[in-house]
Amino acid sequence: MITVFKHTFLRSRGAILGWGVTMALMGMIFAPFYDTISENAQQFEQLIDIYPQELMAFFGASGTFNFTTPEGFLAVEYFSYMPLVVGVFAILAGSALLAADEERGILDLIAAHPVSRTSLFWGRLLALLLSLVLIMGFGYLGLMLGTTYSAMELDALLLVYPFASLLGLLIFFAGLALFMSMLLPSRGTAAMVAGVVLVASFFLNGLANLNDSLDNLKPLLPTRYYQSQDWVSGFRWDWFAGLAGIGLLLAVLAWWLFLRRDIRVGGEGSWKLPRWRRSPAKA
Amino acid sequence: MDKTTPAILAKGLTKFYGSFQALHGVDLRVERGEIFGFLGPNGAGKTTTIRCLLDLIHRDGGEAVVLGIDPQADPVGVRRLTGYMPGELHLDQSLTAEALLRYFNALRGNSADWSQISSLADRLDLELKQPIRNLSHGNKQKVGVVQALMHKPQLIIMDEPTQGLDPLMQQEVLRLLREAQAAGGTVFFSSHIMSEVESVAQRVGIIRDGRIAEVADPKTLGKRSLNRVRVRFQKPVDSASLAQVKGVTVLSTDNATGVRLQVEGEVDSLIKALAQFPVSDFETERPSLEEAFLAYYDDHTKGSQLPGSKA
Repeated sequence: MITVFKHTFLRSRGAILGWGVTMALMGMIFAPFYDTISENAQQFEQLIDIYPQELMAFFGASGTFNFTTPEGFLAVEYFSYMPLVVGVFAILAGSALLAADEERGILDLIAAHPVSRTSLFWGRLLALLLSLVLIMGFGYLGLMLGTTYSAMELDALLLVYPFASLLGLLIFFAGLALFMSMLLPSRGTAAMVAGVVLVASFFLNGLANLNDSLDNLKPLLPTRYYQSQDWVSGFRWDWFAGLAGIGLLLAVLAWWLFLRRDIRVGGEGSWKLPRWRRSPAKA
Repeated sequence: MDKTTPAILAKGLTKFYGSFQALHGVDLRVERGEIFGFLGPNGAGKTTTIRCLLDLIHRDGGEAVVLGIDPQADPVGVRRLTGYMPGELHLDQSLTAEALLRYFNALRGNSADWSQISSLADRLDLELKQPIRNLSHGNKQKVGVVQALMHKPQLIIMDEPTQGLDPLMQQEVLRLLREAQAAGGTVFFSSHIMSEVESVAQRVGIIRDGRIAEVADPKTLGKRSLNRVRVRFQKPVDSASLAQVKGVTVLSTDNATGVRLQVEGEVDSLIKALAQFPVSDFETERPSLEEAFLAYYDDHTKGSQLPGSKA
């Protein structure tokens, strides 16, 4: 399993650097903007007051929320949309974990070596989880670095919380995409289904802040349990454990499916969605 | 491990892909230390059989034992003793040949000595520092051969190992297979080249429609193979008389001065029959092994069971 883990991790280093550096740069760029906000806090508060409350509520900024505090600023300008940004990586990486090599015909030869499917699966998954942790780490370091040349004062430990919460959400979507890739006939379809869940969850969660009739839906939305704000008051371990736990449970189900299925080389044994066929024209 | 057990033993192996039955009860026995040729047309079940033996796909029925191990019960044990080269070889394009072979060796617990890998690469004239994406089809094939042989496996399973290689390299690969056999290994390989099978294999198994049609000596099978002959005459002749010659079928005629014939078995009778005509040109063409056996089984099994197949 260690060989598979090392190989997969080394193969992912480009993606880790690409996504991690992007997140770090975003933090470094956004943090100094806070100075403008804090220097003109009164004007910004007036400006926000005239914004439609619905718009602010969409991003979870309602009630006691204060945009001019460092946490409030980061919640709206940085953390609120991060699920959509890095969620894409989690979904692509999760769906590709085994299915991409299978579709390229590479998995056949790898699996013909003396490595069990369990080692192959968990070695690759551990490498993916480490990649997610490192990307979060890059984001954290970038934001911390950004605060060193801004007036933003943040507790280094507290800033870990939103990144850890985001990690929980990423584990959930990586697990979902991986499970789908074992269940559906192609990697692309699996990524599409997981992507639809992510986007729908993100927007429905925002809309649920505006519309009380969606309240019943809220507990079912994964993004509901992402702590993009209020992290100063403490880390929601229950939310993190729920997201990461379900993600890992989906991964266990994917492993169970992987043990029982054939490794495909030419689409054999695959299934297709039923295709609508026009009935033959009558003479 | 019991060394007296066959290298490969399959009994009534069946495999379904959904509702399609790919294997209809394959019975196969390959003895230890032999080179066994495995032949059959596309879609006959060659690759499915091989992949069942390595548990890359799970069989639906029957039994399989490889080197004394049930591949479904202990797939890692089977793969540790086996070197496999798939027919459609796909390699990780992002790595160099050396990095890929080091990874494969690590998956085998570094059981192969690097000097053995270098030696194989040298013999096959393979540049290990090259990225896989820059390698030609033939050179990728060489990487496949090296990874299958590098750990000196007890059983070598290769699907079309010489495909895409130039004639010199084809000979080198066959030499490597003979050396592996001389060192006590067993070779199970498929090929489309009759001369290759005749020169290397001790026995040949023919698979057709998911069943083993026959297992025989390659020379015996070779005698049944077909030749295609193109004859050009100096003046128009009546080719109908040629159709009377035993084993000869007239495929086409060309203005009565040219004729294309198919000959089953020896061409001696045809040459004697042609002696009465003024021949200006005579050309033989050997169809592929697959084509030859397909024609043979088409002719001999219409309306009856294939030899060796079960009812």
